[in-house]
Amino acid sequence: MHLSWGPEEVAFREELCAFLDEHVPPEFERGYDYAGEGEGEDGTDIVPEWARQWQATLFDHGWMIPGYPPELGGRNCTLVQTLVYLEELASRRVIRSFHYPGYGIVAPSLLEFGNEEQKNLVPAAVRGDTIWCIGMSEPNAGSDLAGLQTRAVLDGDRFIVNGQKVWTSYASVAQKCFVYVRTDPDVPKHKGISLLIVDMDTPGIEVRPLRHLSRSAGFAEVFFTDVEVPVENLVGGLNDGWRITQGSLAHERAGLWVEGVCRLDATVQSLIGVAERCGRSRDAGVRRDIATFYEQASSLRALGHKGFSSFAQGSSAPEHSYMKMATSEIGKAASEYGMELQGAYGAVMDPERGEESGRWVNYFFLSFANTIAGGSSEIQRNIIAQRVLGLPRS
Amino acid sequence: MNFGLTDEQVMLRDTARALLAKECPPILVREHVDDPTVALPLWSQLKDFAALGDGPCTDLCLFVEETGYAAAPGPFFATTALFAPLLAAIDHELLSAVLAGDTTGTVAVAGADGHWMLNDELVKTFVPEADRVDWIAVVDASARVRVVPSADVSTRQTRTVDFSRRFFEVDTAAVAGAPAIELDPAAFANLTARAMAALAAEMVGTSRRLFDMALAYAKERIQFDVPIGSFQAIQHRLAECSLAVERATAAAQYAAMTLDANDDERFRAVHVAKAAAGNAATRSAKDSIQIHGGIGYTWEHDLHLYLRRAIGSEYWLGTTSWHHDRLADLLMPI
Repeated sequence: MHLSWGPEEVAFREELCAFLDEHVPPEFERGYDYAGEGEGEDGTDIVPEWARQWQATLFDHGWMIPGYPPELGGRNCTLVQTLVYLEELASRRVIRSFHYPGYGIVAPSLLEFGNEEQKNLVPAAVRGDTIWCIGMSEPNAGSDLAGLQTRAVLDGDRFIVNGQKVWTSYASVAQKCFVYVRTDPDVPKHKGISLLIVDMDTPGIEVRPLRHLSRSAGFAEVFFTDVEVPVENLVGGLNDGWRITQGSLAHERAGLWVEGVCRLDATVQSLIGVAERCGRSRDAGVRRDIATFYEQASSLRALGHKGFSSFAQGSSAPEHSYMKMATSEIGKAASEYGMELQGAYGAVMDPERGEESGRWVNYFFLSFANTIAGGSSEIQRNIIAQRVLGLPRS
Repeated sequence: MNFGLTDEQVMLRDTARALLAKECPPILVREHVDDPTVALPLWSQLKDFAALGDGPCTDLCLFVEETGYAAAPGPFFATTALFAPLLAAIDHELLSAVLAGDTTGTVAVAGADGHWMLNDELVKTFVPEADRVDWIAVVDASARVRVVPSADVSTRQTRTVDFSRRFFEVDTAAVAGAPAIELDPAAFANLTARAMAALAAEMVGTSRRLFDMALAYAKERIQFDVPIGSFQAIQHRLAECSLAVERATAAAQYAAMTLDANDDERFRAVHVAKAAAGNAATRSAKDSIQIHGGIGYTWEHDLHLYLRRAIGSEYWLGTTSWHHDRLADLLMPI
């Protein structure tokens, strides 16, 4: 156990910092609101042009996914160097991309499960030239993802897809979609699912933007009516889709907690600022509450690193199962506390009244998604209980 | 930063675990309530590890996590986490004998308010194991240290809920004229941080014991024809409890690493560690009792031996709230 990085990591960080100092877009330096989601009110500027250029710049310099080879936007760096990379970006409140699915889900899935032709889609997904969305959740398949009902029927050399997806982030701007479909309704539900690559401009697809309760329009409903998908767009084997959802996104997953923890750190630091601006920083109760948030955030950062250390040594890292649940729950409580600190002005959304222009209300509202999307806190507790602690299924 | 254990650290932890499982079973902790001498054979084993008192904090913490798991009674913690580091800081001639396991000691700091802070009071409180160690190091208001034979001071036990750790009031008036050695107040702050980090690690061990007992019971206890651990209400309570234990574990190890590196973050990290450990200890104590149901709150069941250690530790060297308040002073200076 030791605190410092080795010389290879130090040199890696120096090279990274030199790149970032030169290339980070001014939009970040002017104070990109890291705790927000970067989603426009009307859904059109979900991925602004400057952010597209930034992602392409990262790719072209081998800094998009540093663990990948150069042709995929990386530099074949080690897992530990990847952690250094993620922490440095997060500490500068810089994000790589405004659309996660392409580089975070599609690329690693295609590299592991796709055929050679499908793998050719990876560079554009990582560079952000192609925007992807993920068609997983449905009105009746949320936490019970395997219960999805969108049907795909094989008809000669094509699938005919009918059904509906919902909570589909980036659908309004995406060119392609990873669609999980039911290809065999007569077997246990996990065993009848397949994964298709679908072009979003295929006839029969309708996208209806879905507003978040904060009024931002980051996600959408997607309707499929007799959509024809070439059979070669099947990823992996027929009825093998569930394995892909569970598949090894390990390289990304091992670092996913970094952003959660850094966001939480940033929120806690901001709480100190709110307390000062609202004249409550000498209040003993407020001080203790903020210190408690700090304790939670800081111990979670240590837990993430501890899990990463065992992962990097080739062991399993049950620690990471806790990180998503804990950072999202504590983040929600912290953003609510930012409202509470403002007293009567806590619920004010008027930019000309109060000290905080309603931003804490926004954080609070946006935080609702964090304890639900990507596996609700309840599902996470089930997973911890059953897979980490070995308790029997009910 | 690297939380990975070296091969030597894995061996140290495994050795401690096996030794304490054998030499410190629940029956020993139980008998210790009425007869502190039952812990003597345990010390004869643990004294082989007294050199940890002057080694890396990370190694000491790995070891005391296991003494905490076993709720080990005796002078080990006082000697290695309090006395030896203090002797090392003042370059005292007794150090080599202490590290060899040939003699034992404790440290007296707190005054009437019970806080581990410098003061000019002659009656010291919450001095662990004062009646069974050979030496007591008394620290005065100017951080001057007097190392005196424990036989030279009068002690009175302060009974707490914890049967496995014994605290004493020590009247140091009789040794006020003993020769004193100057200690840099900054060094005292580091020693205090080291003691708190070690206690946090020990509490992590106790928390893990309480959690392990609850988890095992949830798997074996049958109600409504199924193990109670198959119920989501029990599963979610255990999931949250294990989160508390896991993050306290990481926080305590991180604090030890910052101390070994003399990192600027170390004081914040120690407050975080003791607070996280306090949260884990009290939470796992309560959750474990709740999951054990009726058997959990009986005298016969061993659970309360560890619950007592957990609660006793929470109140020593600063409660969770006290550490939050000190942390706030560092984060938001007035």
